[in-house]
Amino acid sequence: MIITKKSLPRRTFLRGLGAAVALPLLDSMSPALAAPNRATVPRMAFLYTPNGIIMKDWTPSAEGAGFEFTKTLQPIEAFRDKLLVLTGLEQHNGESLGDGAGDHARAGASWLTGAHPKKTEGADIHNAISVDQILAREIGKETPLPSLELGLEDVRMVGNCDSGYSCAYSNTISWSSPTTPLPYETNPRGVFERLFGDGETTDASVRAIRARQDRSILDFVQADTARITADLGAGDRRKMSDYLDSVREIERRIQRAEEQNAKNPELPALDRPDGIPPTFEEHIHLMYDMMTLAFQADLTRVITFMYSREGGNRTYPQVGVPDAHHGLSHHMNDPAKMARLQKIDQHHVQMLSYFLGKMHAAQDGDGTLLDHSMIVYGGSLSDSNRHLHDNLPALLIGGKFQGGRHVRYAKGTPMTNLFLSMLDVAGVHPEKLGDSTGKLDYLSL
Amino acid sequence: MPGKLLYSRGLALAGLYFAGFVLSGQSLLESVADRYCTGCHNDRLKTGNVSLANAGTLAPATLEKVLHKLRAGEMPPAGMPRPDPAAVTTLTTWLESELDRNALAHPNPGAPAVHRLNRAEYRNAVRDLLDLDLDHSANLPPDDSGYGFDNIGDVLTVSPLHMEKYLSNARRIARLAVGTLKPSSTLERFTPPRGTANDSIDALPLNERGGILIHRYFPFDADYSILVRVRGNPGPGMPPAKLDLRVDGKRVKLYDADIDTAEANQGTRNFQLRLPFQAGAHDIGAAFLTENAKLEGAIRGPNNNPSTNGLFVDYVAIGGPYDPKGHGNTESRKRIFTCLAAGAQTPCIRRDLASLARRAYRRPVTAADIDPLMKFFEMGRADGSSGFGSSFDAGMEMALTALLVSPDFLFRVERSNGPVSDLELASRLSFFLWSSIPDEELLQTAERGKLRDPAVLRTQTLRMLRDPKSQALLDNFAGQWLQLRNIAEWHPDPQKYPQFDDSLRHAFERESSLFFENIVREDRSVLDLIDADYTFVNERLARYYGITNVYGSYFRRVPLTGKERGGVLTQGGVLMVTSYPTRTSPVLRGKWILENILGAPPPPPPPNVPQLEENAVGSAKSLREQLEKHRASAACASCHSRLDPLGFSLENYDGVGKYRAQEGGSPIDASGSISNGTTVTGPAGLKKVILERKDEFVEVMAGKLLTYALGRGLEYYDQPALRQIRREMAADNERFSSLVLGVVNSVPFQMRRAPEK
Repeated sequence: MIITKKSLPRRTFLRGLGAAVALPLLDSMSPALAAPNRATVPRMAFLYTPNGIIMKDWTPSAEGAGFEFTKTLQPIEAFRDKLLVLTGLEQHNGESLGDGAGDHARAGASWLTGAHPKKTEGADIHNAISVDQILAREIGKETPLPSLELGLEDVRMVGNCDSGYSCAYSNTISWSSPTTPLPYETNPRGVFERLFGDGETTDASVRAIRARQDRSILDFVQADTARITADLGAGDRRKMSDYLDSVREIERRIQRAEEQNAKNPELPALDRPDGIPPTFEEHIHLMYDMMTLAFQADLTRVITFMYSREGGNRTYPQVGVPDAHHGLSHHMNDPAKMARLQKIDQHHVQMLSYFLGKMHAAQDGDGTLLDHSMIVYGGSLSDSNRHLHDNLPALLIGGKFQGGRHVRYAKGTPMTNLFLSMLDVAGVHPEKLGDSTGKLDYLSL
Repeated sequence: MPGKLLYSRGLALAGLYFAGFVLSGQSLLESVADRYCTGCHNDRLKTGNVSLANAGTLAPATLEKVLHKLRAGEMPPAGMPRPDPAAVTTLTTWLESELDRNALAHPNPGAPAVHRLNRAEYRNAVRDLLDLDLDHSANLPPDDSGYGFDNIGDVLTVSPLHMEKYLSNARRIARLAVGTLKPSSTLERFTPPRGTANDSIDALPLNERGGILIHRYFPFDADYSILVRVRGNPGPGMPPAKLDLRVDGKRVKLYDADIDTAEANQGTRNFQLRLPFQAGAHDIGAAFLTENAKLEGAIRGPNNNPSTNGLFVDYVAIGGPYDPKGHGNTESRKRIFTCLAAGAQTPCIRRDLASLARRAYRRPVTAADIDPLMKFFEMGRADGSSGFGSSFDAGMEMALTALLVSPDFLFRVERSNGPVSDLELASRLSFFLWSSIPDEELLQTAERGKLRDPAVLRTQTLRMLRDPKSQALLDNFAGQWLQLRNIAEWHPDPQKYPQFDDSLRHAFERESSLFFENIVREDRSVLDLIDADYTFVNERLARYYGITNVYGSYFRRVPLTGKERGGVLTQGGVLMVTSYPTRTSPVLRGKWILENILGAPPPPPPPNVPQLEENAVGSAKSLREQLEKHRASAACASCHSRLDPLGFSLENYDGVGKYRAQEGGSPIDASGSISNGTTVTGPAGLKKVILERKDEFVEVMAGKLLTYALGRGLEYYDQPALRQIRREMAADNERFSSLVLGVVNSVPFQMRRAPEK
């Protein structure tokens, strides 16, 4: 048997993140250092729907203001003034560019990165940092959770998920470094526990005791780790120090949560969910409930949410589609199949309208949460049958720009330009993100 | 490079002569290379990144590749001039013995990295430590895989999410184990898998159908409610079906399921009971008696079961705890509190903590380990419990929480340079065979320094194989090597394969699991994996396979005639997960065989492979004709001539493993010729070809098992170990135990090279 792989490149997990927060940790210990006015820092969410969209039922025919809402977009018509339908954006780095098959893996990996992932099934995956993690690194310092990665589909596939690409590429859209994909949380109970600690309650005094206990435990873990690593080799020491970085990160979050606790005497009531609800709708509603709460309590300002993994195969019998999604998405231009796919697309947008409703109903300073947000909804494939990565479906929803329009962009406009504009609004100014060529026009920010 | 230097010295001393041949080892190598290889593999062209010029000075890494290609007959490529077979055999024999001699003189056991416990190992460690068997996979992020397995040290990274989860898990586990959980009522719903209404269930009486068996942990001595909701419509004029409710195998109630099918009377479909339960794990079974049964062999539709009068269980909801009385005297508490409980003295608490820490950390513990845990005990005792239990209990909960997030528990750290220590060997053994911590007997043997004794090591290894915990080998090794884990998540297109449902899925899983397990338990030859004259089926699977006279939904072993089934290559589950949801893929299957059975993984496709044309997919051409494009260009053919024929030999099995003679109206052509010219026709031909190369298969399987056992990918310096294992297995008819013993006795398993500081 011939092993052709070389030794693994070192995966320095969250090195960047660990280093980035180590210094400000000292400065931001003092609660007197007030966080900037909440209303001015936008909340950003990236909502992902996989396996393409039937574009003819998505794209409005008219451009500009006063466009008609198509069948698929009809569920969010009430939010006309708060949204932009963006047509014509592309993720060029999702194309094969000589790597052959694997569009689903590339779609997932490129959506928030604008990068072309390395084709490998092994441990030497390589992508790029995603826009949500750039945000997390910069504005996430001020919140207990720098970002929240959520999903609905538990991931258990092993090995090769799409034509020679590691499962890591299709299992998430969030990358905190080129070699670090971030796993997402699917269990609403788990999300609740991350946001509020694992009491059944949001009672402040109980949570305070818990926080103190947790920090003692983490101190012990750090001391113990130092003891163990004293005589290890360099490689093993590095791995244990990644562990230490994670421990310190959790300590920092607990501390932030304690500070938040003090600032938030009344949180909207939410019972801790027991687990994953039985239906898709209940599950997604619960996740959206918690996303709204997380934004409202300023526990985080950056959230990514995957309706399912790229290439996912959920069925939707409740809207008359018993077929598995990915299988169906290879519709071979059969009109009956395309009609069923459109039903899924519309159902997904219906779920989105639930979220927008909640965000719109939540007060946030002098406006609503929706006014102070920028939410991207879309996917990284348009025509699922031919696996096209251009003319992507994209909605921008929220209050930091002039809404109510359908904007069509010239062919070749990178989606990453949209992200660069969003970063700009958040006060983050990298030169480039992936294949960006500048900020996106016509948003009227 | 040390290896290269030593090797050259070795070659200079070789001077071996083989009877009847003029050329000695090294000169034979050089002359063969010059004549047949360096046309492409020279310093200028470096085809395949290899140059064989000056063959006498090549490093072991390159020579291992040469050996492999020659033995597999893959080089020189088909169509090019080849040395005569006798010379090739001489050469490969010589190369093998030289490489093995070099490895013996200069063993390189490799250096596995520090290894975080993966989900399975974490779950089993908690189970063995605290007698608490919970599914943590919902609460821990999935583990990344490398080299086909999710227990590879280098790949198991730690993120803050992991840390959060370990902390919240530790709290939850400690609370459940000690019993200080705060009671809060929940309702948990359990649904039978789709399509299983006609199956019997293993732990329930054979004459019951349409039901479900639930294994659940009840955290308190308390009352719990069990609600059974019933689905379906009773046949007219029949007596009401009987719903049997059982706890831990004993009946607690028998209902006449006299339901009213009117929409307004949905409530009659609920059957509810409130029962006291003792804290601990219990089995709840709900199913219908088939007292009005027709013959088991009667034809019935998927959703209509006349033998239960048309009814089956929709779901069971377990609610509670209500009126909790206490945490009960669970097995977990007995493990933790070996001294007397409340009011006990400090030395006793220290003893309890020390005994837990020793098992959890897999080594003897010192004051440096126990002192911090005692501090947590005091802290927890002072804070008091937020749920049940005394402050003493709260103290233990806190100490246990700290223990479960300690790096001593979560990581496997080794320090030896050279032979691994007894304790390190004990951990390697138990994580290899059980995916868990060593048990008391193994730990004591290691603490006494007896484990390295070859006789003792053999006895312990065989004992551990026979122990039921070796189920982990099936779940984790076979589940990943043969991709059996993917069967649970596979979704064939329901339009193309309407007969596929969860009952068939379950049958696929069971067949492959039972087959592998049988090889382990009966210590059969691993070659049965390729070609066996038996398999395990139930009625559903037997009908699917065309085997007659099998009735009932329990699994039993059946003899097979012919080569259509038997061995993993022709099992429904494996055939399914090596296809696409809508069709078969000879390329996928060929690749799977090359990677997992024959040890010749194809390189990734070259850049600039154009997409399959849109109109080519789905056109009327047979799959075989469409794949002819692979043969059209030499660049494609170089790999696809190896892949496609192997896959074509399995074309008689569709995307869900069913045998078919035709596809789209034309008969299946299941033949192909592989790179050394041999033709392979159908499953019989495939099995024959592989068995002819059984040495390769055995080394591949040994390689997969060694990778799994070491938790690292294999390198060229591990090849001598694989050959040694193969030789040892040959002396024992390739029995499974000889494979495991071979791995355990191998250089990489017994030794370790400490990395540079």
